[in-house]
Amino acid sequence: MIAKQNPANTWIVDDDSIYVYGLKKLIGMTQVDTLLSHFINGLEAVNALKSIKEDHLLPNIILLDINMPVMDGWEFMNEFAKLKPQMRKNITVYIMSSSLDLNDLLRAKNISEITDYIFKPVRVNHLKEIFDKLPQSYDQQILKYGA
Amino acid sequence: MSFSEKGKLSGDDIHLIPLINDLDTGIWKYNFNTKEVKWSTGFYAVLDYQFNEIECSAYTFFEHLLYHGDKPVLLNAINNRLAENAPPLQLRFLTKKNGYRWFETTVRKVDNEHGCIAYGSLININRYKHNDLLSAHNQTGNDDAFKIARLGIWEINAQNTGSIELSKQVYDLFDLQSQLSLSVEEFISFFESPYRPILQNAINHTLNHSRPFDIDLLLRSAKNNMLWLKVKAVPVINHFGKCTAIKGVIQDIDSEKRKLLKLEQSINLLTDQNRRLQNFAYIVSHNLRSHTGNLQFMVNLFEQTETTEEREEIFSHIKTISDSLDLTIEHINEIVKIQTEITKERKVVELEPMFKNICSALKNNIESINARIEGDFTQCREISYIPAYMESILQNLLTNSLKYSHPDRQPIIKCYTLTEGSHIYLIFEDNGLGIDLDRYGDKIFGMYKTFHQNTDAKGIGLFITRNQIEALGGTIKVDSTVNIGTKFTIRLA
Repeated sequence: MIAKQNPANTWIVDDDSIYVYGLKKLIGMTQVDTLLSHFINGLEAVNALKSIKEDHLLPNIILLDINMPVMDGWEFMNEFAKLKPQMRKNITVYIMSSSLDLNDLLRAKNISEITDYIFKPVRVNHLKEIFDKLPQSYDQQILKYGA
Repeated sequence: MSFSEKGKLSGDDIHLIPLINDLDTGIWKYNFNTKEVKWSTGFYAVLDYQFNEIECSAYTFFEHLLYHGDKPVLLNAINNRLAENAPPLQLRFLTKKNGYRWFETTVRKVDNEHGCIAYGSLININRYKHNDLLSAHNQTGNDDAFKIARLGIWEINAQNTGSIELSKQVYDLFDLQSQLSLSVEEFISFFESPYRPILQNAINHTLNHSRPFDIDLLLRSAKNNMLWLKVKAVPVINHFGKCTAIKGVIQDIDSEKRKLLKLEQSINLLTDQNRRLQNFAYIVSHNLRSHTGNLQFMVNLFEQTETTEEREEIFSHIKTISDSLDLTIEHINEIVKIQTEITKERKVVELEPMFKNICSALKNNIESINARIEGDFTQCREISYIPAYMESILQNLLTNSLKYSHPDRQPIIKCYTLTEGSHIYLIFEDNGLGIDLDRYGDKIFGMYKTFHQNTDAKGIGLFITRNQIEALGGTIKVDSTVNIGTKFTIRLA
């Protein structure tokens, strides 16, 4: 991909600092043009979503862990669903968890705002796919949703 | 021979002879002096014989017709002086076609110029007697059945709800004298208090809406016996469909009910254990997986990285993962240990010295936040427990309270014992951060569940504490209010 003037925004919501370190490195290796932000639990991410006034600062992708203290991934999704109607940007949410529990998988499937469930640790190819699926650029989004 | 033949009736009474002979009742007469016997035509008829078919004699009467077992009764009656209104005798006579049948005979005696004469009537009462015997038999049969089934009957009249009619078996179940009459209210009062409104409502419902009911209730009998009873009832309704009475049964189902309750208890216990096992399996898979996943991740990154600087950083992460992995394995070991240690012998644990030891071991943590620790074990100083468990429970709860103290005030942590009935409770109370139980509920005892952004929260302490308590048959319960504090109530035994 060619670097754009307005790079995508990727948020990582995960309390596992080692994993986040690795994920950032891996995203760097895919040479995807994206800005990265890290939140250590759901609440921090919700607060950030609420406080952002400018659309282009909102994330294009959220990579969400399930098990986190204070506010876990499920609770975050509840809050996210409430905030979504007010947001003029298409945000894609991926669950990224090491849980193989079928209940977690089914639960994620039943939440329409969740695009997919990715098992940790994520592979480079999988990451590339995720970013390739993104709407081509932020500029196009502006055309689509209006500024 | 017959009265007509011998013509013993005389004078004015002569016209009675055909009448007597027409009756389906026999008349007999016996002269003590002459041993002469007279029978009416009816006498033959009631015994199914043709007139004069058998020889009319004392011998035939006493030795052939009368059942030998009843002979003393009759002899007794005719030899002794009889009261004027003595009840008729019930005797068995041999009939021609049907064997012995029951008859009723009156016995009268006269003394006159002809000698001492006894006479009487003979009426076939076989049908009544038979029914009598049958019903007596049924009654004993029913009584036995009711007794064996421990089943009683009760009835309430809708017009008079002040009283309740109870069968003997109900009085027996209640350990009461059966003369005692009970009001509905008194009847209900014999059940344990939580069950009284249930029964009252059920009765009202039947009276007002003609609803039948079937409920299990716990009774405390007059002799203080606790008994599970099944109380069942159906309404009796009039033509307008209105309930006029309630008819019901009460059955002793104590042993079945207790077995059922015990079964339910073991099911709950098993469900609990199963849930813990699932939780355990989930944790093992999730946590080991997250570590091994990270390890794999870092090793891959390590291979793809060229610079020494980066490689060093990655390697330091690999070391951290290795440590975490070790810690997790240690936790799993601890949990497995709970199950193996349970077979260890219980010993008398003195709570106060043990608590003091733990406090001094955690001295640094306590002093660094200036916490005030109050231990009061006056209500129960010692308990038979597995010492290692008790130590772990006290330490985990104290650590928990210290860890989640409120930064705005001096932490006060109270630990005390309570006895209530046969139960011993250990209470742990703090004025710390508290936790939103509506949100987290029972999760706080789950493994690796952490709720505060606290770097040293591992989510293992309370999980182990609960496992230890439950392994010894106790329970742990939590009350908490955010920003006020948390209280753990542990039933030790």
